[in-house]
Amino acid sequence: MSQAPLMIETKNVTKKVTTNEGELQILHPISFQVKAGESVAVIGASGSGKSTLLGLLAGLDEVSTGEITLDGEPLHSLDEEQRARLRGEKVGFIFQSFMLVQSLTALENIMLPAEIAGLPNAKKLANDILVKVGLEHRAQHFPNQLSGGEQQRVAIARAFITNPKILFADEPTGNLDSVNSKKVEDLLFALNKNSDTTLILVTHDSQLSEKCDRQLRMTAGELVEQQPRLKVVSGD
Amino acid sequence: MMAFNLAWRLFKHEARRGELTIILLAIILAVASVLSLSLFSERLQQALTDRSAEFIAADSQLRARAPVDPLWIEEASKYNLSTAFQLSTRSMVFAGDELALSDVRAVDAAYPLKGSVKLADIPFGEGIVTSQSVPAGEVWADSRLMQVLALNIGDEVEVGEAKLKVTQILSEIPDAGFSVFNTDPTLLMNQLDIEQTKITGPGSRVRYKYYFAGEPSDLDDYYNWLRPQMNREVHRWTSIEDDESAIGNSIARAEEFFLLASLLAIVLAAVSIAVAAQRFSQRHFDPVAIMKTLGAGKSMVRTIYLIQISFITLLGIMLGSIVGYLIQQAVAVGLQGQVEVALNTWYWRPLGIAVFTGVTCALLFSLYPLLQLFSVPPLRVLRRDISSTVSSKVLQFALSGGAVFLLMWVYSGNLKISGILFAGGIVLVASLLLMTHVLIIVGRKLGSGSMGAWTLAWARIRRRAMGNSVQLISFAITIMLLLVVLVMRNDLVKQWRDQLPEGTPNYFVANITEAQKEGLKEHFTANNVSYEKFYPVARGRFVAINDDKVRTDVTKEGEEAANDGRQGLGREANLSWTTVLQSGNEIVDGKWHDNWQEGEPVPLSVETEIAGRLNIELGDTLTFNLGSEIINAEVTSMRKVNWQTLQPNFFFVLHPKAMENFSATYITSFNLDESRKNEIAALMAPFASVTLFDVDARINQVREIIDQVSMAVEFILILVLVAGSLVLVAQVQASMDERLEELAILRTLGLKGISIRFSVINEFFIIGGVAGLMAALANEFSLYLLQTLVFQMPFSLHFEYWIIAPLVGALVVGLLGALSCWRLLSLNTAHLLRKMV
Repeated sequence: MSQAPLMIETKNVTKKVTTNEGELQILHPISFQVKAGESVAVIGASGSGKSTLLGLLAGLDEVSTGEITLDGEPLHSLDEEQRARLRGEKVGFIFQSFMLVQSLTALENIMLPAEIAGLPNAKKLANDILVKVGLEHRAQHFPNQLSGGEQQRVAIARAFITNPKILFADEPTGNLDSVNSKKVEDLLFALNKNSDTTLILVTHDSQLSEKCDRQLRMTAGELVEQQPRLKVVSGD
Repeated sequence: MMAFNLAWRLFKHEARRGELTIILLAIILAVASVLSLSLFSERLQQALTDRSAEFIAADSQLRARAPVDPLWIEEASKYNLSTAFQLSTRSMVFAGDELALSDVRAVDAAYPLKGSVKLADIPFGEGIVTSQSVPAGEVWADSRLMQVLALNIGDEVEVGEAKLKVTQILSEIPDAGFSVFNTDPTLLMNQLDIEQTKITGPGSRVRYKYYFAGEPSDLDDYYNWLRPQMNREVHRWTSIEDDESAIGNSIARAEEFFLLASLLAIVLAAVSIAVAAQRFSQRHFDPVAIMKTLGAGKSMVRTIYLIQISFITLLGIMLGSIVGYLIQQAVAVGLQGQVEVALNTWYWRPLGIAVFTGVTCALLFSLYPLLQLFSVPPLRVLRRDISSTVSSKVLQFALSGGAVFLLMWVYSGNLKISGILFAGGIVLVASLLLMTHVLIIVGRKLGSGSMGAWTLAWARIRRRAMGNSVQLISFAITIMLLLVVLVMRNDLVKQWRDQLPEGTPNYFVANITEAQKEGLKEHFTANNVSYEKFYPVARGRFVAINDDKVRTDVTKEGEEAANDGRQGLGREANLSWTTVLQSGNEIVDGKWHDNWQEGEPVPLSVETEIAGRLNIELGDTLTFNLGSEIINAEVTSMRKVNWQTLQPNFFFVLHPKAMENFSATYITSFNLDESRKNEIAALMAPFASVTLFDVDARINQVREIIDQVSMAVEFILILVLVAGSLVLVAQVQASMDERLEELAILRTLGLKGISIRFSVINEFFIIGGVAGLMAALANEFSLYLLQTLVFQMPFSLHFEYWIIAPLVGALVVGLLGALSCWRLLSLNTAHLLRKMV
């Protein structure tokens, strides 16, 4: 692992937003590194800044100050279009509320990132991965015709179709019951392992976080603890 | 290609799942209402124009004081126009020892091109249409001429040097015109006989009329060819559009009403598209955020949604065109027999306008919601509260307002009517916004307290103050537009019908002497005939204004004035005198002369239009020559005259003092019921020297057209009402989406379905009621602008709608809200929650 190249590197990343009450700092300077193939859980209480950090790392949002490098590309200096291209090429996503397009079938939802990335055999890829998540019989169903667990499995299939280098998962089991949570967890980690993807997982679930190589704990916008091996390298 | 495939896939699924229903319906509504209204009104107008063309016996006339170059008439055939000819002059007609100054008209075989000649079996009998033209050597004499000359069929009359045989009693010719001052009876003859009469020699006042009929574009082309060669002093081109009569005015107003109704239908459609496009955009915030998260750039998202909107627009336009065509066809077929509508004619202009409307509405009204959609940040996948980075009400109003104005202008081609409606609309929206906020603040107190259904409803209204303001305004505007069309229709139809109320006089009597006046009154009373006022008349030559001699060209032009209910100023003017202002007359400047004092100059009231034409001003002294006497009178008032009433009207009304030394004749009118028509000859026999006019046919023609126009207006009203109702449905549907989340939460928290239902119904009831009240107020403002600036009608307040509109608004909106709510709440809680995702 120590020989693996860096997949993510943040240097003094902060995030401030302007509210009616004035400027609010959501993230205090944060610096850490994640190596390729590593799985990292970001844990912390609600409002601690986990999702904000995830948004910044995935290029969904812009940093206020600091630098983020994703697979060697300086996210902080890319514009929105360039970040979109980067996400399409290298990043997969799984969300707590599944975030499937309601007017597309399960198969079409899975095809979506492959089509956006311009892959020629999107449908075949989608069918293949649909088999892997055990939902081939649900290919033509729309999201509202699927159970929560099934929807999340479709979302996982969608996340993996482009073989992303890094996968961001925001509370992937947060909306599921224990049985479905277990299924989704197993599927997520199995696919992650097989495809050697870097995983950044935001979760409240301590059991889930323990399955990761490492845990980053956030409190009030600060990274206060890195387990088990890395030390906090920055902060106030 | 990927964008196209994805757009097609989204379109296909969403259309199948009914998610595009609202926006599709809105576009269908826009296209269908514009197409059906404009196609129907185009067809109706064509039918009415055709009908009206009968009044001038052609589509257009060229009137001349001298024969025109025959090449002009030959040229008309190159423009596919049919032509006819009439020569007319006043000449003595002799029958034995009897003689009468007559309106002699010599026509060719093609006369009339429009309308028909009617003949009667007996004088003043019912006219029957004839397709024949008067043969050479024969004449057709009208009932009055038959009466005056004591003629029988087969008698011979002398016209100039020609002896011609009376073979028919003329009941009606289409372009007879109507004037109680034009007392000459009519004689119709063949133009081939004119030469032998020798009545067209030097000094005779001969008028030449050339009639043209054909396609409007051909007529326009021909007129453009002819115009440079015409001499204004000698030639005059007239069309039915130039008709200033009751018919002409009714049709002009009907056309303005159709235009207004169509413009309002466009605004209604635009409102529904705006509502639907906003809803469409909001429903796609998530898919856009997802696509962006998965790597789609802004341009890709833009392409996908522009293609999708194009699919929707295209489908909407296609379906809208079909629906629009079917609606107007159904209306036209339903009206067959009652309204003459040219069913077989297809007009491309309405389809072009409808497609243009669909495209413009769909693009311009979708633009702002689409801009919002394109700007949805990918971060929304993590933070659902983030929606769009574009939020400019100014941009939204500029785009929507610009689109509405563009459509109005393109459609009407009338900057004035578009400008008035648009400016009125802006003032309205601003006032409504203000009123809404005030009402919501006032309603706050009602919203506090325990959680009853009413309280919940007010609380919800208060909480979504801004959203509800917009919703209230859109409801109010929709209701207002419906009210405008409804009230305008009522006022117009009432005004038209008021022109010809039951018992409208159908006979006029002129040339009644002072000695006959009382006797005739008694005779009418004894025979149970209701008669109108007796107006004194004297013919005087109008000679000077402030001692400046009146130019002859002015008086000559007066003779050519429109001939329907309106007497032009000829060499001799008809003067009347009274101290009681005639009904339908209004003093607009100066003071009516009912308080004249001895010693002051003789007061005179002048009709405004003739005053303008002759540059007569208050204080001017006008000189008239009556026989050998001179009358000088000072202009003390200007009168606006309603020429549309079928009653004698006068350009000049003097104080009786000025006329005390002159003998007058009188004119009056009376109504004789249809069943008593055959009594007319016997009734008037004791007064054989007075001149009788039968205007029944004329009245019936006017009444028939007014009935047809009124009927058509009713159907257009229904079309607009249907359009408006659909808009209301779309609005309720859209606002129901916004309530979905709250309904689901309340339901999940265990609030009883009945309470939720009542709170939603109450909310819509309140919104509908308030919107109705605002609409009633806004309606008065809009009507004031429309009636005073566009329709030139008197304005009055419509208090009944101040009560009706809030009640109907509350009921309709409440009911629609209830229906939508019922559908949602019939789903179980899990289903409801899933719908939210």
